[in-house]
Amino acid sequence: MNTQTALVTGASEGLGKSFAFELAGRGFHLVLVALPKTGLPELARYIRINFNVKVDIFETDLTASNSCTSIFKELANRSIYPGILINNAGLGNWSWFADKSISFYKTQIDLNITSTVLLSRLFLEQPCRPEKLYLLNVGSLGGQFIVPKKQVYGATKSFISYFTRSLQLELAGSGVQVSLLSPGGIHTKPELLVMNHSLKGISAASILEPDQVAREAIDGLFKGKREIVPGVLNRLMVFLDHILPAMVKTLIIRKKLRVILKQSNP
Amino acid sequence: MTTEQHVFVSGASGFIGRSLCLELARRGHIVHALCRNITHPFLPQHNNIRFFRGDILEKETLSAAMEGCVQVYHTAALAKMWCKNTDDFYQVNVTGTRHVLEAAVRQNIHRIVYTSTCGVWGPTVKYPMSEDDPRIGGFPIHYERTKYLAELEVRKWVQSGLDVVIVNPSRVYGEGPVTDSNTVSKMVSGYLKGRWRVIPGTGENVANYAFLDDVVQGHLKAMLHGEAGERYILGGEDISFNQFFGALARLSGHKRRLFHVPVPVIKAYSRFEKLKSALTGLPPHFLPEFADRLNADQKYSSTKAITRLGYQITPFAEGLKRTIEHIQNH
Repeated sequence: MNTQTALVTGASEGLGKSFAFELAGRGFHLVLVALPKTGLPELARYIRINFNVKVDIFETDLTASNSCTSIFKELANRSIYPGILINNAGLGNWSWFADKSISFYKTQIDLNITSTVLLSRLFLEQPCRPEKLYLLNVGSLGGQFIVPKKQVYGATKSFISYFTRSLQLELAGSGVQVSLLSPGGIHTKPELLVMNHSLKGISAASILEPDQVAREAIDGLFKGKREIVPGVLNRLMVFLDHILPAMVKTLIIRKKLRVILKQSNP
Repeated sequence: MTTEQHVFVSGASGFIGRSLCLELARRGHIVHALCRNITHPFLPQHNNIRFFRGDILEKETLSAAMEGCVQVYHTAALAKMWCKNTDDFYQVNVTGTRHVLEAAVRQNIHRIVYTSTCGVWGPTVKYPMSEDDPRIGGFPIHYERTKYLAELEVRKWVQSGLDVVIVNPSRVYGEGPVTDSNTVSKMVSGYLKGRWRVIPGTGENVANYAFLDDVVQGHLKAMLHGEAGERYILGGEDISFNQFFGALARLSGHKRRLFHVPVPVIKAYSRFEKLKSALTGLPPHFLPEFADRLNADQKYSSTKAITRLGYQITPFAEGLKRTIEHIQNH
């Protein structure tokens, strides 16, 4: 099992990079995908030397029309058949619907939804696939709690959630383990490090470091968990969400919305 | 090097800044030393050092202190383990750095050396890290996170044409005052007084120790030979806790019985300390994010600085001997 290969998208930064380290630390060979000029060759070199595993890289834009297909074609050429796929690449936003451009939403949907669907399909239909396959899709707790300023991002993650759960039903007993990762806030990109910095109390405490999220996610995937919610506080929030009556939740969200509106229109 | 140049240094009472001021002054430069308190006991005394009361968070004080200077060394930072107001780390390390760069532009400074840290890489795996290597984990330590963000700020300014060279010292030790931010001095001085009695975990974990004099010379060499926007690790030897305390016993002549304390015990204690600080506002002795670090190595390679800058490393035994003597005499 330890000679298996894991494919990770969005691997140059943040959670994707943590997945790469976590899997390399467990002895898996890697296929890393990220945009060009994001430091992927340096990352690959570092992992090869320090973890003694094979690392193949694809510097490509997953929203380009043929990129998903060509990745798997090229992998087959190299006789690499990944047994693990981590659909991690994603584009977030925290802005009013009118504030982002048409092309931004197109890219966001292409990356978060289309590339995940295509890569999952290509992964499952590999001609010489390993007997046991592991597929991890990165959703978001935001896919469960509906909040303003995350309209398209949240909706793409709801898609991932439905897609993943439905696949779980289809693929039950087929030797394919499909898991959904639903993380809350993570300290990843520099902008987020700055933004998260201003949070206080529970919001600040619930934000996790990417290495912890990656560790819990891979543990959960191999244990066969259907949904992985990293962090005790986040699990508590999901639990509260299940037991609180809808009316109370609506009240909380309305109150929160009022605060957000006040912040943006002082 | 031309003499009588006016050079600005921030963080003049700090562990590195203090020695840097003295070395610049000895070389004949007129040093404009920025300090929040000009009666601070750790300030270096020399005829060529002029003190300017100021703060990197008070913009106007920076321009005044930089007036007439051609070079800037920005060593000031909040390097403590803990601060009552967490936001201070961001303010001092990121906003403060931006202020220094802004002032440098206004004062037509030719070149700036910015003191970062190997903490921007943090823990290492098998081989020593070098400048192009990626960071492995997240940024649970405020100091490291804000120093990383400050580096991003610096690179933004370099792209718009400012001449800034970044240096990244590792764990600095040497002949300087025993301060809160300098853990090695605290360990050595505690050991000599018989108050330091623990070795964390097995003691096999390795860290990189940079001798203060080397780091100061590295700053000067970076100013002279560094390339704008490049980073240079200024480190020393990779040494384990066991080797560290072994050398300390041998060189000081004081053999003390040290106790290995398992990291989980330290972690449990650090959780208690964190809670204590959260409830009382008193500074903690240790924090969980630092306890986690005791499980990891922190090895760094200074090869780039050695080949490109002519950086030199003092052997650890010699550096430690001088550090012990300094602490015994002060």
